[in-house]
Amino acid sequence: MSRGLALALVLAAGTAHADDAVTTSVTPPDMSDQGIGAEIGAAIGGRVTPGGLRLAGHYLYQLSDQDYFDGTATFTYGGGSAGCFRDRMNNFVCDHGLASGGGVEIAAGVRRFFGGRDQFWPFARAGVGLAIVRYQDDSVTGLAIPVHLGGGVRAEVADGVAIVGEGSLDLGFGVFNHSLGLQPQVGLAITAGAEFRL
Amino acid sequence: MRYLVLAIALAACQSLDVSRDVGARCDLASDCNERCLVPSGDWPGGFCTITCDTAASCPSDATCIDEQGGVCAFKCVGNGDCTFLGAGYTCQMVDSHGAGIKVGVCRGG
Repeated sequence: MSRGLALALVLAAGTAHADDAVTTSVTPPDMSDQGIGAEIGAAIGGRVTPGGLRLAGHYLYQLSDQDYFDGTATFTYGGGSAGCFRDRMNNFVCDHGLASGGGVEIAAGVRRFFGGRDQFWPFARAGVGLAIVRYQDDSVTGLAIPVHLGGGVRAEVADGVAIVGEGSLDLGFGVFNHSLGLQPQVGLAITAGAEFRL
Repeated sequence: MRYLVLAIALAACQSLDVSRDVGARCDLASDCNERCLVPSGDWPGGFCTITCDTAASCPSDATCIDEQGGVCAFKCVGNGDCTFLGAGYTCQMVDSHGAGIKVGVCRGG
């Protein structure tokens, strides 16, 4: 009798656990299938990778239980002065500072949530973009294809509103004028902002 | 993917031995941060430099020489130290600016 009761309890517990697994979402419960967001932060570049103030706008569209498409428009505004010159081999090279230049980029990526606790939801993000990079004082312009790898945390603060903080490593190549040709793109960015459910 | 990341990192970390401050080729001051010693026998290909009062005003690998009111030039102890500047540069003893001694710097002529 007692063995039968124990078996029933175990089965009931197992069923309840299974039910939890089915009903527990791996995406933040306040998100619908679409959302928009805006972020501000700082980007670190150098050489011919722009850095400085970073502004980004996001459009999120749910792809699966765990993943959202993350379309991004990004603007980078850096300061700095001329940083290009001819080296002793007469090659035109650039050595801009960490927060120099400017860039406009559109990117497509995927944001994957890993399940959260309370209102905090960590995620990873990967994407690829197409960017126009400009260094005004050197009349240097390039077209870059950076890959973005990063992650962050999303926290719900009100119904349909969340704050987001994220970091990103940006790697890629760009093609530039002034005989610079193919140049590497290496940057880091940290941004934070708000997201709204649509 | 790993090799791509490595290639990007290596390319991005290449060191530059000259700069717009000191050492870049130039024809005009606008090619440099401050001034250009225009191409001549003394400065083949032109030489970007900055005005200085003492060696402390120059980058660590350069010193202040008594030329055109005091300019920074790369220090050297032998001609081999000057090969990175290209043909025409050798290590020569010149008057330092502000120190009253002779120093070895890379220059032409």
